[in-house]
Amino acid sequence: MSAYAWIAVAVLGSVGSIARFLLDRAISLRSAGSFPLGTLAVNASGALVLGLLTGLAFSGEALTLAGSATIGSYTTFSTWMFETHRLGEDGRVQAGALNVLVSIVVGIGAALLGRTIGAAL
Amino acid sequence: MSEQALKLTTYFGERARVGGRLLADELLDAAARQDIALSVLLRGVQGFGAKHRPRTDRLLTLSEDLPLVSIAIDDAQRIEALRASVAELPGEGLITLEPASMATDGGDFSADSEIKLTACLGRHERIDGEPAFAAACRVLREAGVSGATVLLGVDGTIDGERRRARFFARNAGIPLLVLSVGEAARIERALTTLRQMLPSLLFTLEHAQVLKRDGQLLRQPAGASPGAESDSARVKLTVVTSEAARHRSRPVYLELVRRLREQGAAGATSLRGIWGFHGEHEPHGDRWLSLRRHVPVITEMIDAPERIVRLFEIVDELTSERGLVTSELVPTAAPFGLSPGL
Repeated sequence: MSAYAWIAVAVLGSVGSIARFLLDRAISLRSAGSFPLGTLAVNASGALVLGLLTGLAFSGEALTLAGSATIGSYTTFSTWMFETHRLGEDGRVQAGALNVLVSIVVGIGAALLGRTIGAAL
Repeated sequence: MSEQALKLTTYFGERARVGGRLLADELLDAAARQDIALSVLLRGVQGFGAKHRPRTDRLLTLSEDLPLVSIAIDDAQRIEALRASVAELPGEGLITLEPASMATDGGDFSADSEIKLTACLGRHERIDGEPAFAAACRVLREAGVSGATVLLGVDGTIDGERRRARFFARNAGIPLLVLSVGEAARIERALTTLRQMLPSLLFTLEHAQVLKRDGQLLRQPAGASPGAESDSARVKLTVVTSEAARHRSRPVYLELVRRLREQGAAGATSLRGIWGFHGEHEPHGDRWLSLRRHVPVITEMIDAPERIVRLFEIVDELTSERGLVTSELVPTAAPFGLSPGL
């Protein structure tokens, strides 16, 4: 990978994480509950975009930059786990299980949908 | 320092800035500059203010802007001066002023009334090997007071090296507060023991009423409070529950703040303690490797007397079995800040 690609990874990575912060905060402030809808929206939309990119047959450095750097820093596994743990801490085991299950179903569905759309374009 | 003191409490957001500086730093600096006897900064775990913007540590992204509570206690003259400088700050929040007494004989407490005791200890202070806050809770419980909660300060100032040395002889650490409410005679008995254990204990006494304990309704909150001549007078309700206490599978303190926000209450703040008891339960804190937390959580709401009566219905429903509910008269409460937004 060229030096420019490394710099692009750093720049796109920060763009992804800022986008996540803004979207997560906007949704969390509106939903106002303690169910982590913001994180779910971030992860699902990230999966959709990543599916779209592979559907559009991005590969090589372009996929690294758009996929690993941008979407990789945009979506968050750790927050998903952390907030599920918080639900468990609150004794909301059903909500925690739902957070895991819905994220998986919606996430895989979004990736599939993205790839299908990408391939059709 | 005279015995009649004032307590200035400021409620605001963690990210609030004044110029380029954090409002929290500005407040503590002001307290230090003006040699305030005690100031402590507490970080809440959830809440909302006049704009009804939710703050919670349950969601990672929102937890970077939690509610803060800054408390300053000293004689009336110094606190009025501090209040004047705080009121000018272009932040956004609520300021309250309450009378407090810094000596057992300094307040007008009749034998049958109830008292709120706030004791300040060092974070790592110990008495005969036992953490001082745990010893204080034990003494308070043995005296039969209604409850006590230990809140960790995240910052604080104590005027002058002399007072710091006196109150923190074995630890110059950050102050923590032990808040306790009970019958005057019981509080005074506990205080006598505490002062034998810690001769230079820094504490304040305030008027308070226990409304509800362990599901038992003792009295209703005063609608039009006696002495509330001014329009800025407010009533403060304080609800102490265990973090483990549930209302239909949701923690009581989360449900309480959610409903208060729905009902358009002026504001509410929850503070998580590290240790405490209320009612007939052993003092409790967290257990090692236990998923659920067992620390006490204090939720405070300040509102107009007539609205408190309505909000108390929510509190009453959510504390049907457990919890301690107290009320205090807040003679002066005023929003501060000029800048919209935030």
